[in-house]
Amino acid sequence: MPSTSIIAQGTVVRGNIRGSGSIEIRGRVHGDVEVDGDVALGEQGGVEGNIRGAQLVIAGQVAGDLQGAEAVLLERGARVVGDLTAPRIGVAEGALVRGRVRTEGEPAAPRRAAVAAVRRVPEPVRLERPAPPPVAPAPVPAKAAAAPAPVAAAPAPASPERKKAPDTRSADRPPAPVVPALGKSVRGKKKKVSRA
Amino acid sequence: MAGSVIGEGLTIEGELTADEEVAVHGTVRGVLTTSGPVHIAAGGVVEADVSASSLTIGGQVTGNATARDRVDIQAGGRLIGDVKASRLTIADGASFKGSVDMDV
Repeated sequence: MPSTSIIAQGTVVRGNIRGSGSIEIRGRVHGDVEVDGDVALGEQGGVEGNIRGAQLVIAGQVAGDLQGAEAVLLERGARVVGDLTAPRIGVAEGALVRGRVRTEGEPAAPRRAAVAAVRRVPEPVRLERPAPPPVAPAPVPAKAAAAPAPVAAAPAPASPERKKAPDTRSADRPPAPVVPALGKSVRGKKKKVSRA
Repeated sequence: MAGSVIGEGLTIEGELTADEEVAVHGTVRGVLTTSGPVHIAAGGVVEADVSASSLTIGGQVTGNATARDRVDIQAGGRLIGDVKASRLTIADGASFKGSVDMDV
């Protein structure tokens, strides 16, 4: 309770709101809202100012920029005039936006992978998924012989952790060159080379 | 509870106007006005003039307190400012510095 704040419907704040915890705004705020928790703006809520938080779920009106450390989600009925910036951005049908939208920043790794799968070209992602299993067993025998095999490859054999392995790679940029290199014929050769 | 809650760790700098209950666990600086009751919890800090139907102070208030109904300063509560209300209670252990106007 204490870490969740509520600006009720009928409540008007003229000034800035900042601090820790999450906040739910059903009233009106004329000023900036800056918290380290989540921000929920209700259908009847309105903010004239910038909003910063971890995850912003907007169903009301905003005249200002929205910046989410994790995500900005605009629900049906949301009306936003301002820029959206977050690693994950969702705009539901029926939401109105006027401003620039940028998906950027570093969220939790698995979430980013999910966004990439949805938003960017789906094909390279499909190539990446089948790729790890053959690659993963390879380092294991290689490890027995050569000690300094990549640490990231070691946990790969476990099925749930396969997904994590590509994430760490994507964070390090390598996948970009790997994906175009993975032509059907090239791919086989590459594996053999890496094994040797 | 349908009213507004200023959570612990949250700070509002400016003017807060409401038509319902307001509970302050965090900090409000500026002006706090509501037609409903105001509860300032232990740990809550209000550096503002407060106007409400009733006011319960368990935290710290610096500013004038005006209530249509009553003002209650609880044990551990602290008020520095003037009180204007028809009823006032100051609990044993509360701190209060200011003058009182009870519409006599």
